Amino acid sequence: MKRRGARPAACFVMMTIASVVLLFPVYWMMMTAVTPVSEILSRDPPLLPHLGSLSFDAFAAVIARRPFLLWTANSMIVGGASSLISLTAAALAGYSLSRYAFPGIRFAGAVLLLGKLAPPALIIIPLFIMFSVGGLLESYGGLVLAHVATGVPLATWLMKGFFDRIPREVEQAAMIDGCTRLGALRHVILPLTRPGLASCFVYLLLVSWGEFVFGRTLMSKPDHRVLTVGLQSFSAEYQVDWPGLMAAGTLTLIPIVVMFVLLEPFLVSGMTKGALAN
Amino acid sequence: MSDAILVGRRAARPRGLRLSEGVRERIFAYALLAPALLIVLAMVVYPLARVADISTRIGRTMNFARIGLLPIGAGNYARTLSDPAFWQAVEVTAIYIAASVAFAFAIGLGTALVLDLTFPARRLFRTLLLLPWAVPGVVASIVFRWMFDGSYGVVNAMLRHAGLFAADIPWFADARTALAAAIVPTVWKAYPLITLTLLAAMQTIPGELYEASAVDGASAVARFRHITWPGIGAAAILAMLVSALWIFRDIDIIYAATGGGPAGSTQTLAMYVYNEAFQYFRIGAAAAVGMLMIVAALIASGVSLAFAGKQRL
Repeated sequence: MKRRGARPAACFVMMTIASVVLLFPVYWMMMTAVTPVSEILSRDPPLLPHLGSLSFDAFAAVIARRPFLLWTANSMIVGGASSLISLTAAALAGYSLSRYAFPGIRFAGAVLLLGKLAPPALIIIPLFIMFSVGGLLESYGGLVLAHVATGVPLATWLMKGFFDRIPREVEQAAMIDGCTRLGALRHVILPLTRPGLASCFVYLLLVSWGEFVFGRTLMSKPDHRVLTVGLQSFSAEYQVDWPGLMAAGTLTLIPIVVMFVLLEPFLVSGMTKGALAN
Repeated sequence: MSDAILVGRRAARPRGLRLSEGVRERIFAYALLAPALLIVLAMVVYPLARVADISTRIGRTMNFARIGLLPIGAGNYARTLSDPAFWQAVEVTAIYIAASVAFAFAIGLGTALVLDLTFPARRLFRTLLLLPWAVPGVVASIVFRWMFDGSYGVVNAMLRHAGLFAADIPWFADARTALAAAIVPTVWKAYPLITLTLLAAMQTIPGELYEASAVDGASAVARFRHITWPGIGAAAILAMLVSALWIFRDIDIIYAATGGGPAGSTQTLAMYVYNEAFQYFRIGAAAAVGMLMIVAALIASGVSLAFAGKQRL
C-alpha cells in the first residue's frame, strides 16, 4: 500500500543489520545464560553459542537458589491487581473525556496529565511518608495503589482515543431504544471497545512489570520484592553471578516479549495517534 | 413500534426528581471521571502539595508526622543552590539528556525512514526494532553493565579485536567513562518511542506528494527536506520532548547501573533527589530539588509545545 518501492532488497539488508546491532543486548543476555560458565567468563567470550555445549544450569540454579519465583509472583500480584483497577477507572474516565467537553471535564483531564510530569523520585518522598504514617509500607495494597496512580493518567488518555473512534450515534441509538446512559456504556460501547480494553490492560501490565522506584522504596524487604527490585538487588551483590543474572533476565523478558507482540499493532495504530493529538 | 417504546419509557420515568436533561448529563460525566480523578488527587496532587510544603521546612526529623511542625523558610533552596553536588548533578543531567536524546533521535529517525518504505518482512522488523521500549529499565541497565564489564565484557573484547583499545575498561566503574556508558542503555530504551512517533507522522503524509516529486526528478535528499521533514517536524519536536522528559524524570537505569556514582559522575538531578531523601535522609533538600525539577520541566514543555505549534502552521 505504501509508496516508493525503492530498492526493497537494500531496505531488507539495512533492517537486518539494524536489528542485529540493536537487539544484540537481548541476544547476549540469552547467550550468556545458556553458555557454560567456563566459556563465558573469559576475556574472549565466544560470540556464537557452541551448540554441543549449551547448558541450562543457570536457569535451574537461579530458580533453586534465588527467590526468583517469589519475585515473579509478587510482580504478578501487584501487576494484575493494579492493572485491573487502573483499567476500570481509566475506561470510565476516558469515556467521559471522549464524550463530554464541559470546562470542568477538560480541566480534570489536564489534572490527570500532572501524574505524568512528576518525577517518581520526587513523588515517592511524600508517598513514603504518607504510607509510613498510614501503615501501608511493605504491603501489597500500598504498592498497588502507587502503580494505579502511575497507570491511570496514561491509560485514561489511551481509552479516550479508543472511545473517540466510536461514533456518538451508536449510544444515541441505544438510548432511543430505551437504554440509560450507563446502560448504553455497559452493554453497547464497552463491548465495542473490547480490543481497546485488552491492549490498554496489556500496556498497564507492561508498565507495572517494569516499574522499579516505588517497588524498591515501598516494598524493600527480601520477601516483598517485585521482579525489578529483586534483579537489581541480585546485580548489586559483591561478586555478581552474571550467568545466573542473565538467566533471570531472560526469564523476566519472556512474558514481556509475549505482551509486547500482542500490544505492538495497537501501539502503532492507537498510541501515536493519541500522543500526537495531545 | 420503537416510538411506542420511547413514549412508554418516558412516561414511566419518575417525575419527582425534576433534574433537567443537561444536569443529568453533567452528573453522569463527572461521576464517570470521579474514580480516576480521586486516585490522581490523592496519589499525585496531594503528595505534590505535601512535598512542596516539605521543601520549605527547615531541619531534620525522623518522625514523619511531625514534619509539619518544623519552621518554614527558604533554607533548603539556599543550601541546595550552594551545594557543589547539586551543580554537578545539573551538569550531568544536561549532558545525559542532550546526548541520549540526540542519539535516540538519530536512531529513531533512521529506522522510521526505512520502516516507512515497502519491503519484505517490514512488520517483523518493526516489532523487533520497537521491542527495547518494553524492556524494563532495570533489566536494560543490568544487561549493558554485563556487556561493558571490565573483566569479561563483550564490548571490551570486540574493541580489542577491532584494534581500537588494548586496555580492559571498566566502563561503568570509572568516573571518566561512567556517564557515557549510562547513556547507552538510555538510548536503547528511548529510541523506539521516537521511531513509533515519527513513523506515525510519516504515514500521514499523502503519497501523492512523493509521486509528484518523483515525476519532477527530485533527489532523495530534496524529498526529505521538502516533503518528509515538514510533515514530521511537529511530531519530531514532540517525540524529543517526551523522551527528554522521561530521561529527566526517570532513575531506573541510572539506579541499577551506578546508583549515581562513581564520585557523582552519573548522578542526575532525579537520582540526586532520591539519594538525598533515601540515602542521606535530607528530605527537605530532596523536596526542594524536586520542586525545581518540576518548574524546569514545565518551562521546557511550554517552550517546546509553542515551538511545535509553530511547526504545524
